Amino acid sequence: MMKKCIVVMLIFVLTAFFSAKALPAEDLPISVSEEQSGGKLSEDRVSGNSDDDGESSESGQSEVEAEIPPVKDTLRPFNRAMFVFNDKVFHYFFKPIYTGYNSMIPVQARVSVKNFYSNIRMPVRFFNCLFQSNFKGAGTEMLRFVINSTVGVAGFLDPAKSKFHFEKQERDFGQTLGKYNMQSGTYIVWPIIGPSNTRDTLGLLGDAALDPLTWVSFLFLQSFESIGSYTYESVNNLSIDKGDTYESVTKPAIDPYIALQDAYLQNRIKKIKE
Amino acid sequence: MNKRKMISSICCGVILLIFISPFLWAAEDPGTLVMETIDRGLAVLKDPSLKGTEKAHTRRQQLWEEISPIFNFEEMSKRALGQYWKKRSPEEKKEFVELFTIILKDAYIGKTDTYSGEKIVFVKEKQDEKDYASVQTKIITNTGSVVLVEYRMQSNSGKWKIYDVVIEGVSLVNNYRSQFNNILMKSSYEELVQKIKGKNDKEKT
Repeated sequence: MMKKCIVVMLIFVLTAFFSAKALPAEDLPISVSEEQSGGKLSEDRVSGNSDDDGESSESGQSEVEAEIPPVKDTLRPFNRAMFVFNDKVFHYFFKPIYTGYNSMIPVQARVSVKNFYSNIRMPVRFFNCLFQSNFKGAGTEMLRFVINSTVGVAGFLDPAKSKFHFEKQERDFGQTLGKYNMQSGTYIVWPIIGPSNTRDTLGLLGDAALDPLTWVSFLFLQSFESIGSYTYESVNNLSIDKGDTYESVTKPAIDPYIALQDAYLQNRIKKIKE
Repeated sequence: MNKRKMISSICCGVILLIFISPFLWAAEDPGTLVMETIDRGLAVLKDPSLKGTEKAHTRRQQLWEEISPIFNFEEMSKRALGQYWKKRSPEEKKEFVELFTIILKDAYIGKTDTYSGEKIVFVKEKQDEKDYASVQTKIITNTGSVVLVEYRMQSNSGKWKIYDVVIEGVSLVNNYRSQFNNILMKSSYEELVQKIKGKNDKEKT
């Protein structure tokens, strides 16, 4: 009863929020917000040869100075603590599990598991394509779902990509909100989930509401079963390449917290621009 | 079937070579320069005589010799320090470039130890202005996932060199600049240098 109430409330809040944000913007062409369009180009044009430190590079430097966008991180003490916690969880819980899992299960099998989960999650990508008025993408997702659920043996294989060259459309709700010019808000590090910000947290809630797995867990599964399923999926994803990605950002860093924050924000900006 | 595949791939190769050859003569073209360097690097990684953990040191050294000339480490250091660069004395600058080069070397050469046949494909190149270009490539991993890697290049009297690497939208130089900025807002430049040195020493052991 409680669970259903929460879900209904969540949907209500989201629809209210989404319609308020999205509808007025509907006839505008989808554009990227200020934080993305600024910077990059001017930064590319920073002048100054490496061997002169004279006037020409002075002007270049001032451009560099002006261009650093301040990162909104009002929860920094909390975030830092969460970062340390997550890092420990990664190194002492997830990493040993997925390295063992890696050595036992062949790559093809792990990719199949990832495909299976990703096929079930098709509505997330499909609806976000629609929200972003990417109708071609939505069509691709629909076709992919039909092909992979049948020919691809319930989604374990991905013939849509390998035979028909329909690429998966990675669209999420945080990206949708970004496309409608919602600002990213403050940076937040969630336990286990990891780096996020205000916009992408709303995005996560939106995606969860669109995700059939959320509904299945709410309606049919015991909490330990759904936790098991999510943990298994995370381990599987980490074993494919997510674990490496995390380490390649934090390991070479002087300040891993800032490195991950910056990588997360830069990567999100790129995804919203796409 | 296999024979036909082989013949057709040889034909493709020959046709490609014919198409590419004019570009090979103009070797200063940023896209070809990057791809040639990558191919030389991959050749080192694929070399059977350099495989295995016990050869890691020589392999890394050789790889470094092949790929490091294409990077402009001074420009990278300058951009990573941003506004703080011009306040440094020439000696400090020189020291910083050395330290930053070691960070990058440790971080990215070490990663190649786990190389397992990933492919690197040229996507496109773009020349914004006379002196700036970007070369886009993608890495295709064994699991079929694709990683977009963009090399930003600057020409210095006709010589193209990389000043930034952007992986899936994350610029390497900007990433370090955020870190350095954060440290320098609270502590002195000397402390930053100490931190970098500490990091580099830890990598060595």
